[in-house]
Amino acid sequence: MRFKLHIAFLLTAFTLISCTVDPTVSPVVNTNELSEIVPESWPQPVYNFANNKISAEKFTLGRALFYEPMLSIDNTISCGSCHQRGAAFANAGHRVSHGVTKDGVELEGIRNAPGLFNLTWHPYFMHDGGINHIEVQPLGPITNPIEMAETMPHVIAKLQASAKYKTLFKNAFDSDEITGERMLKALAQFMGLMYSYNSKYDYVKRGKSKFTEPEKKGYDLFLTNCNACHAEPLFSDFKFRSNGLPARAGVVDHGHEIISRDTLDRNKFKTPSLRNLEATAPYMHNGCFETLEECLDHYTNGIDALANPDPLLRNRLVLNADEKRFIIAFLNTLNDREFINNKRFDEEK
Amino acid sequence: MRLLNHCTALSLLVCFTFFQSCKKDKNDPAVEEPSKTGSLKLSFENMFGTEALSFGKNYVNLNGDTVKISKLNYYISNIVVTKDDNSTFTESNSYHLVKHSASGTGIITLNEVPTGAYKSIKFMLGVDSARNVSGAQSGDLDPVVAADMFWTWSSGYVFFKLEGTSPKSADVNKALEYHIGGHGGVNKAQRSFDLSFNGTTANVSSSTTPHLHLKVDVNQVFTAPVALDLSVDYRVLSPGGRSKKIADNYSDLISFKSLDN
Repeated sequence: MRFKLHIAFLLTAFTLISCTVDPTVSPVVNTNELSEIVPESWPQPVYNFANNKISAEKFTLGRALFYEPMLSIDNTISCGSCHQRGAAFANAGHRVSHGVTKDGVELEGIRNAPGLFNLTWHPYFMHDGGINHIEVQPLGPITNPIEMAETMPHVIAKLQASAKYKTLFKNAFDSDEITGERMLKALAQFMGLMYSYNSKYDYVKRGKSKFTEPEKKGYDLFLTNCNACHAEPLFSDFKFRSNGLPARAGVVDHGHEIISRDTLDRNKFKTPSLRNLEATAPYMHNGCFETLEECLDHYTNGIDALANPDPLLRNRLVLNADEKRFIIAFLNTLNDREFINNKRFDEEK
Repeated sequence: MRLLNHCTALSLLVCFTFFQSCKKDKNDPAVEEPSKTGSLKLSFENMFGTEALSFGKNYVNLNGDTVKISKLNYYISNIVVTKDDNSTFTESNSYHLVKHSASGTGIITLNEVPTGAYKSIKFMLGVDSARNVSGAQSGDLDPVVAADMFWTWSSGYVFFKLEGTSPKSADVNKALEYHIGGHGGVNKAQRSFDLSFNGTTANVSSSTTPHLHLKVDVNQVFTAPVALDLSVDYRVLSPGGRSKKIADNYSDLISFKSLDN
């Protein structure tokens, strides 16, 4: 044992001597907190970090990149501009988000910025499912002309010119070479570790808490009416479905059809999770509803037969006012304050 | 005591290794063994018919249409060379982006090729499906290198990009734009090539690097099996049936030209 320690000590000492580390960058977060999490009874995630080994240094780099406005052409917009921790990484109070400014006009998107959590279970990304892997997801907003409007060669050139990123990349990858692959792996690590699994619902499932009577009634109604698409425990089946939202005036958005080129996929969007709804309003892919009451009213009274509604919604849901209140009581057990208040995901000041 | 000696020796070895790993140059000529491998140089020579391809020059394709080319990029991947005894060498991490430029030639050098006489080469035009669905990649597949060759809104590599103009194009600027890809399903656009060296062999040794010249004839894109009507098929920018039609046409894009030993 002593010999092993002896070797370990020498190894550490020589590493420190032979590869100097810039001390100007503040210390990284505690490694003990960072690991892959698969809560009991949850399915196996799609992304498991096998090719992106988790480290505090990579997480720290990913966090810096997530809040880095250099990712946008005019150095004004970062990922964190539209994905805010207190909003479960949705865009608080924004029906749709603002991108960079072009010719004096702040560009605006057509879709609502989704919350970011439990992303390692997502088989594809964006409301229309166009992006097939968590690591390449950031390329979408970075290069979208109405979001960050950048190019990867230009982003990487900016990062390469930054002493801060030279150090952060060196800490994370043992070499200060800044490549697109490394940048994307670090971002995937930061976002992939945004786990939300500590809502009241989760505590109830673990036998550590109990639903109130209205919550229990709501849960039963949820299982009958909602769970077919918003499947437990992630509260999404990750399928593409139309929930019969009427088209917004002046906005053409055919959803998954844009990707699949199949008219049967018109108006279909990826089922969103129902976790953390207290933080992610407004709701729906186009941000058209401000409250959960409006959402439920849509499912009972508002399905547009012309919007290719899912077969499960063609006859609309039948729920009375009490039942809607119970469902909302249940939905409020899906809020995970431990996640929403976790300052580990905040920009380093 | 012997154990202690071993441990001290191990410690020194570990330290030595760490010193080594932080050095820029890892090559230590002192430990080099007599080489049983060599290199093979491949030139992808972009042409239009029998002429070397030049950007901005008018060519008449086999359908009789005038075309001018301004951009030609494509991926060559999964290179395998076969010896005259049918044993093979597979290049690892074999992904190469060829971009036509003034030099007109995309040179790929295969290294650590076992010594021997090689009679044929196989490769793919495009990027295999696995690398299209496995997240961030390195080398020529890194999204910085591939910035011009990756669809960011619907993940996937552009395998073949040809841009230019033709008076026959229905586009207001007479543009021709083919961004061809699609990594799976019925419309997948990778095409495989298996080219013999016409009975000759590339003789790889530690002292000689044979040079294989491959002809990449852009004219082939416009002709068979479907003669493209440039007033209709002047712009294909995403995977699908029209992309597959162009891919079928480029399935005979590349052929053996010559070999220097």
